[in-house]
Amino acid sequence: MKRPPLARVLLRLFTLQGSWNYERLQGVGFAVAEEPLLRDLGGGRGEREYRAALARGARLFNAHPYLGGMAVGAVARAEHDGIEPAQIERLRLALGGPLGSLGDRLVWAEWLPLNAALMLIGVALGWGWWAVVGFLALYNLGHVWLRAWALKAGWSRGHRVVEALREPALQRADALFGVATPLAVGAALPLTAAYLASPFPGWARLAVAGIAAAGLGLLQWRRALTGLRFGLGVLAVSLVVGWVWR
Amino acid sequence: MRPEPALLLEAWGTLVGLDLASVPQVMIARPLVAGTVAGAILGDVGTGLRLGMLFELLQLDILPLGAARYPEYGPATVAGVAAAHAAAGALGVGLGVVVGMFTGLVGGISVHWALRPLNTRAVRRATAGLEAGDPDTIVRVHATALGRDALRGMLVTATGLVLAALVRTYMVGTLTARGAIVVAAAATGAAIAAGSNGTLNLVGRRVNFAWLVAGVVLGTLGAWLR
Repeated sequence: MKRPPLARVLLRLFTLQGSWNYERLQGVGFAVAEEPLLRDLGGGRGEREYRAALARGARLFNAHPYLGGMAVGAVARAEHDGIEPAQIERLRLALGGPLGSLGDRLVWAEWLPLNAALMLIGVALGWGWWAVVGFLALYNLGHVWLRAWALKAGWSRGHRVVEALREPALQRADALFGVATPLAVGAALPLTAAYLASPFPGWARLAVAGIAAAGLGLLQWRRALTGLRFGLGVLAVSLVVGWVWR
Repeated sequence: MRPEPALLLEAWGTLVGLDLASVPQVMIARPLVAGTVAGAILGDVGTGLRLGMLFELLQLDILPLGAARYPEYGPATVAGVAAAHAAAGALGVGLGVVVGMFTGLVGGISVHWALRPLNTRAVRRATAGLEAGDPDTIVRVHATALGRDALRGMLVTATGLVLAALVRTYMVGTLTARGAIVVAAAATGAAIAAGSNGTLNLVGRRVNFAWLVAGVVLGTLGAWLR
């Protein structure tokens, strides 16, 4: 392949989860993203090798959506390198777990809460919608970089892509976010609470503090109780109190 | 509400619904983003920010790990802002959260009980084409699923906006100022509880717990100084 259409694949990767289902999970989205890299495979589009590779691509697959491109690139490269189909299937399945857990930790448990906390702090400090714009810019800088890096690493390393998961930059980012995320989220909570409670009179602020403390205790004690269920319950009671206490 | 902002809110809610999982996941589905833009559409950014912050705290209680099931707070915040905009002050906040929470519940149900089973059925029907590696079948299944999610986002937002209109018509005026403050304070307390719970679950009791405590101390100091 002279110049792999990685930009087109990257664009398609933004829809990786678009057809998520209980049968193949992200499989169909995987095949859609991989397809441009398979077009010049053994005779070209429509030929037996191309169709066989595409069919393999559409089978069961699941990973973190931002890192799925690493598997897409690696599998497409393995197809071009003439690796045995059974080995390609094993590579796909083997990559899903590590890419899922790495992305869950790095993105969902660190990068996203860190940026969301910074946005909350910004709004609480009076930066208004600039804090929201800043969140979108900073978060997506990391997001798009991660998607592009993952695809490139997969395509360049092929079936040896596991080496990329040991990239020192990822380890450093994990260590840094592991400290920055709890610090930022911890700072965001009291600032946000103070901002939200500021228009209330004194007795209502006490009520806010009481409900928050009791709710936190209840949610930690009864793990099956979610924030939504607790909120709906509290709102139902408060509506009755609000109507009665005129 | 005039038809132009209602249509814009509907379009924005649909995009926000799509962003949650399908495309492009750039986090316009985060409540504070969705709420701020909804507020801007209504010419009331302040209400959008306030409702957005409340739902952002509720969102902190959710970790979208694996195939976890959770409420959808993006279109919910859009509907909540539409409800809150009609009644200024504390009454708006309380009613906005009531509308938003129900819409979030509907959104979550629509993903897990309608969208994903329908996608699964479509994939099963197309098994022969998928196993043959037919590119047209693969693209059709994928594009149809994206369209299905857009329709879902549209319906969830529409449900929320109808709920907001009903609340505006039948609930504004039934609460006194004190009653409205009670509801708003309860909503705020519940959101702070959910956000704190999510944070504790996220950080857990790991070594980084000390950094969480340091953050809380810093934040409290910052809030006191302001």
